[in-house]
Amino acid sequence: MTDTRHVSAIDDSIETEARSFGRQVWDRFRRHKLAVLAAVVLVVLTVSFWVAPALSPYEFDEITPDFRQPPTAAHPFGTDDIGRDLLVRTFMGGRFSIRIALLVALSTTLIGTLLGAVAGYFGGWIDALVSQIINMVLLVPALAILLVLALKWGSSPWSISIVLAALLWTRIARVVRGLFLQYKEQEFVMAARSAGARSGRIMFRHILPNVMGPVVVETTLLVGTAIILESTLSFLGLGVQFPTPTLGNLVAEAKGAIDSNPYRVLLPGSFVMLITLSINFLGDGLRDALDPSSGGGRT
Amino acid sequence: MTGVFAYAVRRIFTTIPLLVAATFVVFVLVSISGDPLARLATCTTCSDAAYDRLIDLYELDKPIPLRYVGWITDAATGDLGTSTSLGEKPVAGIVAERLWNTALLAVPSFLLIAFLAVVLGVFSAIKQYSIGDYLVTGASFVGIAMPTFFFGLLLQAFWGVWWQDWTGWKPFYVTGKHVASFGDYLASATLPIITLTIVLLATESRFQRAAMLEVIGSDYIRTARAKGLSERRVIFKHALRNALIPLVTLWALDFAGLLGGSVITETIFAWPGLGQLLVSALPNLDLDLVMGLVMVAALLTISFNLLADLLYGVLDPRIRYD
Repeated sequence: MTDTRHVSAIDDSIETEARSFGRQVWDRFRRHKLAVLAAVVLVVLTVSFWVAPALSPYEFDEITPDFRQPPTAAHPFGTDDIGRDLLVRTFMGGRFSIRIALLVALSTTLIGTLLGAVAGYFGGWIDALVSQIINMVLLVPALAILLVLALKWGSSPWSISIVLAALLWTRIARVVRGLFLQYKEQEFVMAARSAGARSGRIMFRHILPNVMGPVVVETTLLVGTAIILESTLSFLGLGVQFPTPTLGNLVAEAKGAIDSNPYRVLLPGSFVMLITLSINFLGDGLRDALDPSSGGGRT
Repeated sequence: MTGVFAYAVRRIFTTIPLLVAATFVVFVLVSISGDPLARLATCTTCSDAAYDRLIDLYELDKPIPLRYVGWITDAATGDLGTSTSLGEKPVAGIVAERLWNTALLAVPSFLLIAFLAVVLGVFSAIKQYSIGDYLVTGASFVGIAMPTFFFGLLLQAFWGVWWQDWTGWKPFYVTGKHVASFGDYLASATLPIITLTIVLLATESRFQRAAMLEVIGSDYIRTARAKGLSERRVIFKHALRNALIPLVTLWALDFAGLLGGSVITETIFAWPGLGQLLVSALPNLDLDLVMGLVMVAALLTISFNLLADLLYGVLDPRIRYD
């Protein structure tokens, strides 16, 4: 009888030692204080982008008689040239910017992962083709292509997202391709293959879970890149069109009034910065947590 | 040495199909993005001759792939076509002039970026986790998150409006290119140069810091210290030389990008460079001009990438080109 007690004691100690993968990731992530703070900031911002416009007495495209007001009690962010309340417009702008950035990040991840996986796994002419397309995209100035595409197709949030995704997929494709090249030679893939698994199953059920860490990190950072690029496009007047506000076109709209009401530029611009900064910290924290071998964030 | 030469020649030849494919895609995209004749449709004073002139210039009577063949064969001989939006001038001449203007910003910014990135990166790495390191790293995080247009606008508003309101003194031109004297050049180029520098410096100094930390942690640095070399010699002779290798690629890409023209900075500061030209050429459907700009940017990227790969061999004699 003493034996079983002994065994259960060992069991207990093993149980306290063994942490699930998710738990390990959370423990590592928690240690990264800035990343936790960044995650909180992002959640607060995102929630406020959805809640604040609903609480405001104004609609984002409602024209009030008080035009070109500096910040007042009635309009804490002031009003624009035709009297629209800028608080509600800025938060709605944040909502549209976040929505577009998420759309861009997800579609880019999908395209990039798929092409990278196929190129890395199959190798041969497919790899050569994908690699050459990547080189080609890198050869032409990104903004030039973006401007051409945006001029013709981009004025709705959807088309802007597709245009940005068409440009940004190369980075994640290269990362995924490299990882697939590395994993496809490993024993567990050979085991799956000898058990009769098809290529599709090996790629998506066996290898893909192993590369999810870096993919999640890249996707996170992509949200930041997308926010900056979207606001840049909007700033040049080629992004989402009026009356829909985004953080970028709010800055563009306000730049003429920068001396009379600098807050009109400062507030939406600072939102872009705060979001991007938080996303980059979050990405660093996630890299440490999901992919500790890379050592990327700590250095 | 012949190895290096053969390598360079091979690289150039393998890049040509890539360049042709890339310019073809851009050509098709720009061609289908709008109809140059549409502008004439609302023009009541234009004669039929104007139509014929545009059709003739852009070969609009031919299918797009054939137009591309015409363009690329001309481009191969150095004839980049004619600009329509800037009064039927040859594109090559316009681009050359604008390239010079862009270089007036790009070269000083690049030198500043390269120098400061190394200084800040090395400082941050050897004083890791000091207050100075936290300041540099924190600033670079902010710099990376800062959209160029936001920084440029703030800089412009600060020196153009606020500073003058406070002190009554306006040390810089906030728009346009002024090169009557060297002082004028400094007064008008400083703000765009700072804008270009801050954004790229943030990325490069972070990169340099990471590269330096990786090298400092390696075995041969421990050996160098164990041999009794001075810290200065260990850092600058042994560590820095190796930590510069990954940075060279970044330098090449950044310099090529800077010389290709920066759309945002040049637009904000009304600097007549290549980037500003692109923004004005696109809505005007000035096809040859857009293609000329894309071509120049692509050639710059190719050349500087090749240069970086050749520089690798100088910095790291273990790298062989065969």
